[in-house]
Amino acid sequence: MALRVQRFPSASPSAAIAARAVAIVLALVTAGLLLAAAGAQPIRLGQQVLRSTFSGFGIEDVGLLVTPLILTGLSVAVALRIGAWNIGAEGQFYAGAFAATGIALFVPGPGVVMLPAMFVAGALGGLIWIMVPTLARAYADVSELITTLLLNFVATLLVYYVSTGPWLDPGGHALATTARLKHDVPEFFGLVHWGFPIAVLLAVTLAVAFSFTHWGYEVRIAGSNAQAAKYAGMPFRRHLIVVMLLSGAIAGIAGMLEVAGTVHRLQGGISNNFGYLGIMVAVLARGSCIGVLAGAALMAVILNSGIVLQTQGVNTSTVLAITGLILFFTAIGDELAHFKITRSQPA
Amino acid sequence: MDLVTGILHTSLLAGGVLALAALGEVLAERVGVVNLGVEGLMALGAITGIAAVVTTKSPTAGFLLALGVGFLVGMVFAAITVLLRANQVLCGLALTLMGTGFAATVGKAYSGIPAPATFVALPLPYLSSIPLLGPVLFTQNVLVYLIYIVLPLLIHFLMFRTRHGLNLRAVGENPAAADAAGIAVQKIRFWYVTMGAALAAGAGGYLTLAFVPSWSEGVVAGRGWIAVALVIFAGYRPLNAVLAALLFGVITSLGFVGQARNWPIAAPILSMLPYLGTIAFIVVPVVAWHRMRQAMAAPAALGIPYYRDLR
Repeated sequence: MALRVQRFPSASPSAAIAARAVAIVLALVTAGLLLAAAGAQPIRLGQQVLRSTFSGFGIEDVGLLVTPLILTGLSVAVALRIGAWNIGAEGQFYAGAFAATGIALFVPGPGVVMLPAMFVAGALGGLIWIMVPTLARAYADVSELITTLLLNFVATLLVYYVSTGPWLDPGGHALATTARLKHDVPEFFGLVHWGFPIAVLLAVTLAVAFSFTHWGYEVRIAGSNAQAAKYAGMPFRRHLIVVMLLSGAIAGIAGMLEVAGTVHRLQGGISNNFGYLGIMVAVLARGSCIGVLAGAALMAVILNSGIVLQTQGVNTSTVLAITGLILFFTAIGDELAHFKITRSQPA
Repeated sequence: MDLVTGILHTSLLAGGVLALAALGEVLAERVGVVNLGVEGLMALGAITGIAAVVTTKSPTAGFLLALGVGFLVGMVFAAITVLLRANQVLCGLALTLMGTGFAATVGKAYSGIPAPATFVALPLPYLSSIPLLGPVLFTQNVLVYLIYIVLPLLIHFLMFRTRHGLNLRAVGENPAAADAAGIAVQKIRFWYVTMGAALAAGAGGYLTLAFVPSWSEGVVAGRGWIAVALVIFAGYRPLNAVLAALLFGVITSLGFVGQARNWPIAAPILSMLPYLGTIAFIVVPVVAWHRMRQAMAAPAALGIPYYRDLR
């Protein structure tokens, strides 16, 4: 009887979760060592982070950060369900924020009407932004990964252009932003606005739709084996288009809620990398809509730590690098979770 | 130099960044590995280049160091994606985040410092005095000649005219068959992915040593992603990749000219051109010419790790 390492086609859930946990811890330890090498004191920084995260303000800050992360995470996760990589949540986020701001700035009306209108505009903005990549993928098999990503740069430039040019605050109170929007998403608790419960509700609704509806069943089949889905007569192309447009719309909603709930002005850099971090969230959640809630919470804590670290002289790009480190270790852990030590059968 | 010569000269210079990165990606994708970390590798190469040239005052040292950093990081990436067989999309995205973040962190100290020495134009005797074409083609720096002439021809010859090239393409198309024929699949994948990463970082070095030439956060500005897209547009062929990069050089330099000459179009709108152009160029051909799809198709095993025991 000899022991040997064998790879299995699917990882057991417990091994997968354990690998994830180890990966995240190792990534943070590595980051700490690198920071120490750069002359920082990681242990003191860690204590600082923990103290301010679990203070009253810390919880509210995390609540503000978690809302867009849930939504962009959902956006990526939903597309992954049918096997599409939406790397463009960042751009759709900007497009949604742009559309909602346009409505808020140029259409007069009471808040009761305007907020829902902005919400719809945000969703439509995101949807339109993913339209070309969706159709190109569905009808010409052009990789959506590249097209969605390239549109991020276009959306970023568009928002930068309008907020410094045509839509620049005429009052001149702030540089390089639009005027303050007249309509706010009302507060839910403390500083956290109603976007948070909306995002959670959306995650739960989507989880139910994927698990318990005929549509969800077909999308899951199409995502795990497109050939089988087509052979079984499922409308693969229609599902692909609907799911990708839905993915764009969700990211657009994230942008609308961010501009109308948190920032209140459209400005360059408003997305705060939420679109890219959404990829992290979806990957950490393994494409599960409920898992997105946990993944977003983790990312929000990391982001908030980043803000705390900034006051200690560690800058945002370092946080981005640490995020990449976590993603890297997670990818390694996911693969290692497939291996088991087994006893070979006696001949 | 008149306007047309100026545009073409800048196009060649601007396209060089994309051409070098795209050639690197061709190497990786031809053996069946998608490297989405090009953007991050370029950022690392860019900061390495500027840091080295500030210290040594030698652009050649800067470029070689950028290649070296790309080679080392590429070995790590190849070890994880080829040998360990982790998910290529995730590792690539992670590499982009790490590279961009790390370069920006280190780059704070170098932000806005112009490179004290750059690759200067090296006019070729006789050729550079040809009217119109001479100043465009033959008064460039040494890297431009390397990127547009030496490297693509070398890679093309290696890939399509040698036994080794046939082997490496077989690894990208059908690794199981290649393995059965006695080709060392994992070894070939490992080294080509590593070399591809080195070229991507070299492209970053070119950016800060010959084109921009200084470091600022976001200096790479999505060029890595455009390079990945160009490889698809070029049908995974090295010579096409260089021509495609040149086309994008033209689009980029039109944007520059527009800004310099005060065209009535806002600068951010002009800056959108390369991205929109890239999308148009990867979408339109496949829609317009269905027959091209076969000829320009990706290697069949692209993105799929190879497990000998599952073949």
